[in-house]
Amino acid sequence: MSIFCLGVNHKTAPVEIRERLAIAEKAVPEHLSEIRGIGPIEEAVVLSTCNRVEIYGSASDSGDALEKLVDYLVDHFEVEHGEVEFYRHEAEQAANHLFEVASGLDSMVLGETEIFGQIKKAYATAQQNGATARRMNKLFQQSFTVGKLVRSNTRIQQGSTSVGAAAVDLAEKIFGKLDGCRVMILGAGEMSRVTAQSLQSRGAKSIIVSNRSFDKAEELAKELQGKAILFDEWMNHLHKVDIVISSTAAPHAVVHKEHVEKIIDQRRGLALFLIDIAVPRDIEDEVNEITDVYLYNIDQLQRIADDGVKRREKQIEICRQVISGFLEEKGIEALAEVPDSRKQKPDFSEGPTAGRTVTDS
Amino acid sequence: MDDWYLIISTLIFLVGFLLAVISLRRGRKGEVGLNFWLAAAGFIFQCLFLRERGELHGRCPITNGAEVLVFICWSVVILYLALGKAFRLSLLGVFSMPLVFVFQLIAIISLAANDPGPRPPETLDPWLEMHASMSLLAYGAYGLACIAGIMYLVQNRQLKSHEPGRLFYSLPPIKYLSDAIIRLLVIGTVLISVGIIAAFFMQVAPEAVHLAASGAVWLIYFVIVLVQFIRRISPKRLSVLAIGAFVFALVTLSVL
Repeated sequence: MSIFCLGVNHKTAPVEIRERLAIAEKAVPEHLSEIRGIGPIEEAVVLSTCNRVEIYGSASDSGDALEKLVDYLVDHFEVEHGEVEFYRHEAEQAANHLFEVASGLDSMVLGETEIFGQIKKAYATAQQNGATARRMNKLFQQSFTVGKLVRSNTRIQQGSTSVGAAAVDLAEKIFGKLDGCRVMILGAGEMSRVTAQSLQSRGAKSIIVSNRSFDKAEELAKELQGKAILFDEWMNHLHKVDIVISSTAAPHAVVHKEHVEKIIDQRRGLALFLIDIAVPRDIEDEVNEITDVYLYNIDQLQRIADDGVKRREKQIEICRQVISGFLEEKGIEALAEVPDSRKQKPDFSEGPTAGRTVTDS
Repeated sequence: MDDWYLIISTLIFLVGFLLAVISLRRGRKGEVGLNFWLAAAGFIFQCLFLRERGELHGRCPITNGAEVLVFICWSVVILYLALGKAFRLSLLGVFSMPLVFVFQLIAIISLAANDPGPRPPETLDPWLEMHASMSLLAYGAYGLACIAGIMYLVQNRQLKSHEPGRLFYSLPPIKYLSDAIIRLLVIGTVLISVGIIAAFFMQVAPEAVHLAASGAVWLIYFVIVLVQFIRRISPKRLSVLAIGAFVFALVTLSVL
């Protein structure tokens, strides 16, 4: 009896293929039942996300199971034999692959945590549908342990990987929780919208939108559940906001040092974070010289994002060492060692950053 | 035995500091949590040292420079253990460790070179004990405010320079740091005010130099806190003031 994994991901298949193989959440139970009906396959877990479709399982003959699984996918989805390059992993390789996926090493955004929750959900669905037994239970429990180990013992999550994420991370390094933060958007462009939404996702609430075209300001304000103001009025609101995102199409600076100096006393020691994502720049460089004011332009944010990506890439090897160390210590043999009477119960209570709290005893 | 308690405590703080530096360099935040427990362990040995010295003198063990330094370290650690988590500043302990380690090392060397031995009071004056202990607890709060101020300036510099270094991701948000500085200054000022009020009830009036030095420390911090509440000082200036005032307070200790 051995475990296996078959799948495609964003590195091996374009979106045109992935979308054809994608398994809708509702259809998963039916597929799980059918997959377990395939000859040697005893257990199965289906992981279907935007970036990957993977099937994990255990079978008396994993080589045979993988062949039959490919036939099954060709029969049930709009793909042809030879059209898709599935990766196939068996035994320790399959476990290693799942551990890397759970750790975010196989993700499009290196080290992201969403995949951890997706694996938990996939496993829970399989469990609820009776598609898992001791091997899959053990394997997935171990993957949760490894995912947490990697995240708490390496810097794989450290640093931002996009301009939007860099802006949000900086805001959090200035204000802590963004719950009470008020945001003003100058220029209702796409980048402003995306950045404001990122801030909103972390708790920023009150959003003011100011644009030369008031209609556009109103449109964006409505989308962000904020308030639109005339472009001439933004100065009157500057002292009330904590974060300014500027991306107007103006050919010259819109926010000058004098504008900020005028209002900084009214802020009574509260910091002001200015994000200038416009080219040409909207905010004078000298604004950053003012105490308690932090100005970042698009290049500076991009540099932080690039640096974040590099930092995370440097961590890949360390993460792999953690995974291989775990596999050496616990070993794939452990999957066979667990007696039926000690079947694992899943632990869905903790997130990936919760530390080394789940053991696989 | 009391010397050994102090040595063990100092070594624990050294280990805590080194471990925290290593884990920060490696980005292992989990190990920074261990620092809290090491601080707690170091604190227990501080308590044992102070208890032994207290029994030796038959009063609050602040009869010489070395004991005063250990008492201040004890105040720093107890305030960190009590408030660090509430202020969301687990790293405050990491930054406190070097201060505590250096102060205690000076105390060890000083006691090894010349331990004045027991100094029982002629008559036990509870107001004097209260004055001294409250004032030194206030020094602990001011010490922590100074450390939070250093952390603020480091983080502020990284934010302003647009080049986040290794510490950037580990240091807390500047808002939390500036909030902590304000709270610690207030706590310190309340404690030192209680200490000064207690001085008015002491059986023997303090010397003029002593009075002037403690009065100056109280006045400086009182003015900072007052201006902060009336006008709001910029967090950067407040950090500089917290550091400067603590350096001044340490200088006055030699007089006290």
